[in-house]
Amino acid sequence: MNRLYSLLRWSPIAIAILAAAPALAADEAPIKLVARDGVFTPTVIEVPAGKSVRLEVSNEGKTAMEFESRDLRQEKVIPPGGKATLTIKAMKPGEYRFFDEFHEKTGQGRLIVK
Amino acid sequence: MGNALFIVWRESAEAMLVVGILYAWLRQRPDAAVGMRYLWGGVAAGAALALVLALIMLGIASSLSGNALDYFQLAIMLVASGLIVQMVFWMRKRGRTFKKDLESSMARNASAANWWGLLIVVALAVGRETAETVVFLYGLGAEKGGIADLPIVLVLGVGAAFATFWLLQQGSRVLSWRMFFRVSEILLLLLAGALLVSGVEKLIALDVLPTLVDPVWDTSRLLDDSGRIGGLIASFTGYRARPALLPLLVLAAYWAVVWWSLGRAGRSAATRAVPAPATPAGEALRRAEHR
Repeated sequence: MNRLYSLLRWSPIAIAILAAAPALAADEAPIKLVARDGVFTPTVIEVPAGKSVRLEVSNEGKTAMEFESRDLRQEKVIPPGGKATLTIKAMKPGEYRFFDEFHEKTGQGRLIVK
Repeated sequence: MGNALFIVWRESAEAMLVVGILYAWLRQRPDAAVGMRYLWGGVAAGAALALVLALIMLGIASSLSGNALDYFQLAIMLVASGLIVQMVFWMRKRGRTFKKDLESSMARNASAANWWGLLIVVALAVGRETAETVVFLYGLGAEKGGIADLPIVLVLGVGAAFATFWLLQQGSRVLSWRMFFRVSEILLLLLAGALLVSGVEKLIALDVLPTLVDPVWDTSRLLDDSGRIGGLIASFTGYRARPALLPLLVLAAYWAVVWWSLGRAGRSAATRAVPAPATPAGEALRRAEHR
């Protein structure tokens, strides 16, 4: 039972972290990205530097997709017909890759921060 | 087809690793029968967790904010990471003091609580990634003509998972037990570190934590973490081609603490260890004892 107690001891900290999550998403209209069975439209997205943006990924394909980007630190499974809005923090200028992990060969895209 | 198979295998590989190592470890223990019940109980609980998670993921199609699920996944990652580390230390301790444990009923009671820990570790390992496989297969089933592939992918995917499991069991036979266990420990600790990095990155993505410096360096030319092999290495070790400073610091702190604790556990063991066998026969005897 010792472990249970030690888990309980840490739970207030976990709750505090979770509660601190701010709803910080920018109020501007999200940038739209469509995924269709391994094809992103568009494949290149440009966003301004130093500004947090929202990215709305909708899966219009027949198969599930996983929007993943280690550069942007995003990972989201989206079922066919599903939609997810991701908040991308203000980034430095540069190129950030993202891909569809369920269609890795074709599902590649880039986010360019200028 | 090949892609689908790879995804099914990759998503189940982590679960297979955890289940396979614990199975091999349990098999050579005298109290294996008890442990196995908890192990397979954990697999069943994990499958149930995966189904629930998959249903929630599929349900997101209609709801707008999926943040609650993100926090749930985050909690799973962090708890799994902590429990895996704890499990490694527990396995070490149990390996060393097992005989003594059997003699004292109090220690036996204490370890009963740890069987539940084992069950939770297995359930989280199975449940976490399997949910994604379920969503993926669901999508495949919904695809036109994908249904024809589905049974093949399922059969081959489960087959590939069992092959991985079998290989792990062979490893425990071919390698000396000590060596197998050492390698297993390292794999489990790497996995726990990778989960920790993913958890911290999720917290950054959710805007709870800052990146500090982002990125600190770029090694994507040496090993790309978005590729197939690099991606696999990334999800099992926490490797990042372009890491931010905070996850890097967390990972460094994690390894420092693990290293120090393992060293300390090793030293305290050495002070009350039985004298090492001097002859090859003695070593063989001791190994037989450990099997």
